[in-house]
Amino acid sequence: MAERSFHVSRLPGFAAIAVAVFVALYVPIATLVAYSFNASTNVGVWGGFSFDWYVKAWANDQVKDATMRSLIIASFAALIATSVATMAALGTTRRRKFKGQTLIYVMINQPLMVPEIVTAVALMILFGLVKQATGIHGLGYLVLAHAAFCVPFAYLPIRARLEGMDLTLETAAADLYATPWQTFRRVTLPLLAPGMVAGAMLAFVISLDDVVITEFVKSGGQDTLPTYMLGQLRRQLTPEINAVSSMLLAATVVLLTAFFLLTRKKD
Amino acid sequence: MKRLLTATALLLATSGLAQAEGVLNLYNWGNYSSPELMEKFKAETGITVQVTDYDSNDTALAKIEAGGHGFDLVVPSANYVPIFVEKGLTVELDMSKLPNHKNIAPEWMDVEWDKGRKYSLPWQWGTTGVVVNTSVYKGDINTSAIWLDPPDELKGKVNVVPEMIDVISLATFYYGGEACSEDLEVLKKVRDGLIAAKPNWIAMDYGATEKMGNNDWAASVNWNGSSMRARLVNPDVAYGYPKEGYVLWMDSIMLLKDAQNAENAYKFMDFIMKPENAALISNFARYANGITGSEEFMDPQMATAPELLIPEEFKAAGHFLPTCNEKSREYMTAIWTELQK
Repeated sequence: MAERSFHVSRLPGFAAIAVAVFVALYVPIATLVAYSFNASTNVGVWGGFSFDWYVKAWANDQVKDATMRSLIIASFAALIATSVATMAALGTTRRRKFKGQTLIYVMINQPLMVPEIVTAVALMILFGLVKQATGIHGLGYLVLAHAAFCVPFAYLPIRARLEGMDLTLETAAADLYATPWQTFRRVTLPLLAPGMVAGAMLAFVISLDDVVITEFVKSGGQDTLPTYMLGQLRRQLTPEINAVSSMLLAATVVLLTAFFLLTRKKD
Repeated sequence: MKRLLTATALLLATSGLAQAEGVLNLYNWGNYSSPELMEKFKAETGITVQVTDYDSNDTALAKIEAGGHGFDLVVPSANYVPIFVEKGLTVELDMSKLPNHKNIAPEWMDVEWDKGRKYSLPWQWGTTGVVVNTSVYKGDINTSAIWLDPPDELKGKVNVVPEMIDVISLATFYYGGEACSEDLEVLKKVRDGLIAAKPNWIAMDYGATEKMGNNDWAASVNWNGSSMRARLVNPDVAYGYPKEGYVLWMDSIMLLKDAQNAENAYKFMDFIMKPENAALISNFARYANGITGSEEFMDPQMATAPELLIPEEFKAAGHFLPTCNEKSREYMTAIWTELQK
């Protein structure tokens, strides 16, 4: 009986492929971290061990400001995108099929299909006009732009969660005289929460990564970490980039570990 | 969450306030603005310089044309200076606010792209030539044959920077033409030559400083300052001035028409024309600056660098690129597009 059941780990070559995948995923990251301790001014030449680039990155105001800005923009963009995506997901799954549903679905996911550069140029022109008319330059434009292209990334996991949910639970709640709001608050939302967290994290990461739209929308003094790195490209890349990336990596690992420990169910 | 909101509200508010006083927004090439220079400027004037980066003249031009960018100063390349002037994006400078204007070296005063320096002031200048790993190839490196007709040792190991105007101009010089050529016979040679040479290239990419430094590439079309940085980590690297013709370039600082901190911008522009401050710019990015007397404040290793001191015999082969007209730009773009295929 046992030898007949399907188990992926028993397929031929499973171990070899798994090892290859992990090597492909983690060797570049390990190299990046290793080279952050490079004493050379050149990102590709090993010049001995040193903490110099960490000290330099830490003392570089442009890097610090860009990092803070990236984190602030990503937090707000993720928050807005997740709220909008949750509403959109509820609106497209918790009701009867209606005409134009596919159209709405396509419209919500539009940022996935339109090349980023098109959105970027359009936003640059639009925001340019708004900025000139109002005289207001703030991070708000970047937050708004990021929130917009993060919506589909938040929407997809939330929608998947809603579609996989057992509808009888909501019906049961209604049968037991829960108001629609109570049903939503006590039944749907708690079940939906993991999808929302996943969506928010995805949106956060996507926003943190963005180069093209940010490059076109940013105003004076609004470099984010990726656009700062892009600017370095044509002149010279130093291990400072590696040091900054390693610090971000460490912060992410600490954050995820903390998240895991805090949410772990005690058995 | 509430704390995060307050923090952001504060951040937005302070950036709004900062706009009003003691701030200057410099829009410059990435990794090009010396932090030491900004600190010194702040210590002397109390003005904080916010540096924002771009990676191409076209990005900078597009963003400034769209308006509402919030920048005060921009640093375009020579052939883009007239475009900014013609489009009315920058203003004629008020020389009464720039007493250090007299420090501009005479050869950088009456330049082709800005006669009499009415709109732009020197930031840095350099050359585009070839860089070669001399342990791989021991022959003559002062020629564009390095990348257009590479010797066997270099085949498959040559990089070409993805800069349309520099690359096509270098090729045009090699085939006996002039910059912005509209001579179809020459252009045909250029096109055929580039297409024939491409299989010998390993890449068309930036990053020669790193990849010449670690022996990834054996040669590249490259800038002089970047080549110097590569040589400092890899002594086999040498910079060549193609005798058929190479490109001279200069990036100049300009004041934008919609600058909100014009007074601060004038203070900054005058500040960088003092020799000791201009030297800070050069020491950081490794290019010369065009200000008389700045040499004595520069790093000693720069004063003798063969990448920065053009040998007498090659001086005449250096050409500044004019702003090409529509027609020649069309030809260049057509060749470039074909080359990218």
